[in-house]
Amino acid sequence: MYILQVDHIKKSFGKNNVLEDISFSLSAGTLTGITGENGCGKTTLLKLITGHYKADSGSINKSGQLGYCPQECILFPHLTARENFNYFAVAYGLSMSDADRQMSHLLSCFNFEKYIDYKVNTLSSGTQQKLNLCIALLHQPDLLVLDEPYNGFDWNTYTKFWEYSLELKDKGCAILVVAHLLTNTDIFDAIYNIENGLMK
Amino acid sequence: MLMTFRMLFRQTIVLILIFTIPLVFLSVVQLTSSENLLPISLASTAAPKVLFFPELRISLVYMAIASCAFLVAFLSLYLVQQNHKTNKRLITCGYHPIELMLSILFALLIIIVSIAVYIGILIFLFDSFERFTGIVVGLALVGFVYGCYGLLIGSLVKRELEGILLVLLLVNIDVGWLQNPVFYAQSANQEFIKFLPGYYPSQSTVIHAFTDFSTVNVNFSAFLYGISLLIFALLLFLNKMRLR
Repeated sequence: MYILQVDHIKKSFGKNNVLEDISFSLSAGTLTGITGENGCGKTTLLKLITGHYKADSGSINKSGQLGYCPQECILFPHLTARENFNYFAVAYGLSMSDADRQMSHLLSCFNFEKYIDYKVNTLSSGTQQKLNLCIALLHQPDLLVLDEPYNGFDWNTYTKFWEYSLELKDKGCAILVVAHLLTNTDIFDAIYNIENGLMK
Repeated sequence: MLMTFRMLFRQTIVLILIFTIPLVFLSVVQLTSSENLLPISLASTAAPKVLFFPELRISLVYMAIASCAFLVAFLSLYLVQQNHKTNKRLITCGYHPIELMLSILFALLIIIVSIAVYIGILIFLFDSFERFTGIVVGLALVGFVYGCYGLLIGSLVKRELEGILLVLLLVNIDVGWLQNPVFYAQSANQEFIKFLPGYYPSQSTVIHAFTDFSTVNVNFSAFLYGISLLIFALLLFLNKMRLR
């Protein structure tokens, strides 16, 4: 069963044809990577999948709950990490007990407990990126879309990130990782390269 | 709404602006205005065409209106523009844009009432006016109309600088200049001034401050003006925040 189906997507900004003809699909319990040069349209593709942009033509079908970790840390800078967790938990429709349980799990997994009551704008960029990622994982999504998710991570967090991703994959989550550098290529079910607006 | 307030008031500059701007404006008026009688016109059919009041009292009310409009418009612009990307992420996660707009509106309502009461108290400390509640209602209407204008601009333009310039431009031209009761009384084209957002709420405040005439008509017109701006702001906000 496909969690995500992208079918002949085209997207341009003015005269700049960013994506010419993109098609792929993700099944439950798979890890897929998308790579390509800077400016090749990786983030544009993710923004089409998450509904930030509308495609010029083609279709995108999703099923299940979406988890999205954007490339930059998009959180409330004047709220604490805990308040951000609570705010997003409400948006996901989680009960407070479920949210607390999942938050505690993520905090211990990513070694983040001591920063929970710090305001986001006082955290280092790497720690902000951890929080940015944890927010996307809070509701245990069926489809996880990650845009350059490990930028600024230290080695331990980087390792934890892949361990956690594989755990999620085993639980049936379809994961899409977009990065200009993909390591650990053996753990991916598929890796695509975007070149001249086409997927190869 | 609670989170919206936390985000806003954890920024010290916001609190400093709210407390100091009206105080500085009114203090300057107190220091520089005379007791000379000046002519003003009111938008009440019951009022004589021209009335005379001391410059100090007129200027206090006029500056109270201008500072209220500026503060509320600026804060409402900030409420919409700040964290725009994070709000969009919340919508990706399941929030509806209307829920976000409602939380902004409730926060704005409390801001409007607080600022109107604060400025109302300030002008009563500077001089004695009789109708405190009426003046606060007038100022709240100024805040409502300009708050909706701020929401409209915040939903219309992306960048902060453009938003601030558009807010400052209208506040300066409208309540900062054309709605000055002394200027309005002598102006060449009063019909044009009546179309501006500051006209009805300013008139409501001035009528309450200087007379006991009814303000039902001007209050209603100010409310309608604010609601019209709010509807446009809401439509633009929903369009801007919806997922494609």
